[in-house]
Amino acid sequence: MLGKLSWDAIPFHDPIPLITSLVVILAVLGIGIWVWRKGYWPALYHGYITSTDHKKIGIMYIVLALLMLVRGFADAIMMRLQQSLAIGASQGYLPPEHYNQIFSAHGTIMIFFVAMPFVIGFMNFVVPLQLGVRDVAFPTMNNVSFWLTASGALLINLSLFIGEFARTGWLAYPPLSELEFSPGVGVDYYLVALQISGVGTVLTAVNFVTTILKTRAPGMSYLRMPVFCWTSLAANLIILAAFPVLTVTLALLMLDRYMGFHFFTNDGGGNSMLYMNLIWVWGHPEVYILVLPAFGIYSEVAATFSGKPLFGYRSMVFATMVICIVSLMVWLHHFFTMGAGANINAIFGIASMIIGIPTGVKIYNWLFTMYGGRVRFTVPMYYLIGFMLTFVGGGLTGVLLAIPPVDFVVHNSLFLVAHFHHVIIGGVVFALMAGYTYWFPKAFGFTLDERLGKMIFWCWFIGFHLAFMPLYVLGLWGGTRRMQHISDPSWAPWLNVALLGAVIIGVGIVLTVVQLLYSIKTREQRLDVTGDPWDGRTLEWLTLSPPPHYNFAVLPDVHGEEAYWIRKQTAIKQDALIDEPDYQPIEMPIDTPTGVICAFFASLCGFAVIWHIWWLAILGLVGAFAVFVWYAWQDEHEHIIPVEEVRANARERRRIRMEHLHSLSQST
Amino acid sequence: MTEIDPEQNVAPGEPHSNILSETTAYVIGLALALGLTAVSFWVASTSSLWGPGVAVGLVVLAIAQMGVHLVFFLHITSGPDNTNNVLALAFGVLVVFLVMIGTIWIMGHMNDNMMPGPEITNLQMQH
Ligand code: HEM
Ligand SMILES: [Cu+2]
Repeated sequence: MLGKLSWDAIPFHDPIPLITSLVVILAVLGIGIWVWRKGYWPALYHGYITSTDHKKIGIMYIVLALLMLVRGFADAIMMRLQQSLAIGASQGYLPPEHYNQIFSAHGTIMIFFVAMPFVIGFMNFVVPLQLGVRDVAFPTMNNVSFWLTASGALLINLSLFIGEFARTGWLAYPPLSELEFSPGVGVDYYLVALQISGVGTVLTAVNFVTTILKTRAPGMSYLRMPVFCWTSLAANLIILAAFPVLTVTLALLMLDRYMGFHFFTNDGGGNSMLYMNLIWVWGHPEVYILVLPAFGIYSEVAATFSGKPLFGYRSMVFATMVICIVSLMVWLHHFFTMGAGANINAIFGIASMIIGIPTGVKIYNWLFTMYGGRVRFTVPMYYLIGFMLTFVGGGLTGVLLAIPPVDFVVHNSLFLVAHFHHVIIGGVVFALMAGYTYWFPKAFGFTLDERLGKMIFWCWFIGFHLAFMPLYVLGLWGGTRRMQHISDPSWAPWLNVALLGAVIIGVGIVLTVVQLLYSIKTREQRLDVTGDPWDGRTLEWLTLSPPPHYNFAVLPDVHGEEAYWIRKQTAIKQDALIDEPDYQPIEMPIDTPTGVICAFFASLCGFAVIWHIWWLAILGLVGAFAVFVWYAWQDEHEHIIPVEEVRANARERRRIRMEHLHSLSQST
Repeated sequence: MTEIDPEQNVAPGEPHSNILSETTAYVIGLALALGLTAVSFWVASTSSLWGPGVAVGLVVLAIAQMGVHLVFFLHITSGPDNTNNVLALAFGVLVVFLVMIGTIWIMGHMNDNMMPGPEITNLQMQH
């Protein structure tokens, strides 16, 4: 009846997962009761959970990412602690079977449930605003995408309380991940969670490619789109190309595990090398899915806070699209050592180094954007400069790793671990923190506290270098990755520095929570009344903060690059806004619980598949499908916002803008 | 000069203005697809063709089949307003090409370098 599920699955004898489970369950209950007692539930349900508003969905993605960042970081600090303790005679506090689950969970969660939802959250929040439109192309599907991602995150975290997680590393290489060597449910949790969230990701990509190609404000030609829209387009094209490969690869492994197939097994004609090949066909492009939007964020930040148009806009667009294509042609550099031979290794090595060229172009573009500008050293700007200093180093070690003979020495070493954290933290995480600070006022109508923001930056910047520079050294000394025990006592100082770095990053994460609470409390001091707190250049700053559901009362007319900047300068020069347009009623998509219900059934189905509870799996599948059918039969998908409301809101915005304009022209 | 009837002057796959001609297009597509499928089965099972030619024939038929699907069912045409579709198709073809050719190439070399050769696996030779 319950498949493989029994009371043994609950970790009654493991204090760490047991206590964590209890704490998490209590916290969730506590927050739930608090929300209910305060009467926030309807606002939460209608304002967020069932919302088809791209801004609300974006915020939910980012909340998910921040929560998962805490989880991923908890795993990281546990690993650092273990490696500092388990040296020489000591075995530390984590037995190998537990340690192996932790690094696998850390990698999986950080990539799929921190970096991805964070990036997708920004795309959701920002892209329609920057394009000057009212929503994404398929608003309901957008909500479904989010909830499917959340469903994957839920399943991964469930593995802590019920059963176990994979011990195979974040890519679950066979033959280790085959049934023969991993008979437990850990790998199944991994596979099922990624399959469900993968569907959400592909739907997002369909949505955003369509939105960017088909729905732009009048006059917003391709070469007038802000760079963040371009990099989002490129990232979503890569998702469309790469994620289906991941889905198929994981599906083949599932066939092996569930139905006795032999795609990647040792016997029966299987070939595990094909799995490494296929998973990296997805895996390398994945890093560009993350880093291209990050580059987009830096571009917006650089232009805004240098008070200058982005240097080399067209070369930026070109470099982005070149990276988009070339990123699909380098995957073999992750398995140079597997034995494809010198010719193939040389070709893929050179292709990998070539990607450094367009990336270098971008670095120079940001530098030249700052050069001669009136640079304001705000928090996002700190991250931009910190990123440039850090990322160049990470890029250099990447080029080193792309030289096959070098890679034969440091493959799977701590040098590699240092390299990819170097580019992911220095490149992606810094951008996400910059974007968080930059767009926060747009989302909530007040800015974040600047002083705490700078402290958080320094925690990440210093903490990162302390945590990962020692790993380069240890890697060159022959330290391999994924070690539960260190036998050479002379490594202890380096590992302790790394632990200190991780603790400093931890302080930064705690301060992020403090900053949020403090900024909410003191928001009256930093209200963003004008909707344009940073003197911005792109269309999201045209509307008020937070924007109305429909973003713009009339779709803005775009007359050049930097659509909003031109408009603002014209208004300042003429000391007048454009003539009041003729307002029309606006049709907006209605809220729908389709996404949550569908994800509920998907989670049910996923859980059942993991535990071999077949009747429940079928129930979940039928349920999810029935929700879609039900949704398709609804007649009403839109509601109309009456013209009076639109006009009243728009006049209020114009009044605020006029006041702002007068204060500007008086000060000059 | 003869007037061109706009109703007749549509590329296959472009939206038609009336149900009848639209249905006709789908039926033509269906017939072509079924015909190509039938021919493929015939090519694979007959002995009247030159052996190596069979594979080539199947590849050609498969490509034609893809063409029929793209034009009649997915509405890829060369008409105006179709640039996005054509670009999307080109991107898709590029990706499939990269992944397939790359994988075959890589795995071929892996097999040559990593798999034991026939001398070792042939048990009869190991007296
Ligand atoms: C916040 C600070 C972070 C710390 C202190 C940290 C620490 C670690 C440590 C100690 C390992 C294990 C290294 C080993 O194998 O010996 C690891 C692995 C890994 N980390 Fe992080 N990490 C951090 C952030 C991130 C982020 C932001 C990402 C990605 C978005 C990430 C992705 C990974 C991946 C993919 C692995 C490989 C897991 C595996 O071996 O399968 N990490 N990290
Ligand atoms: Cu790569």
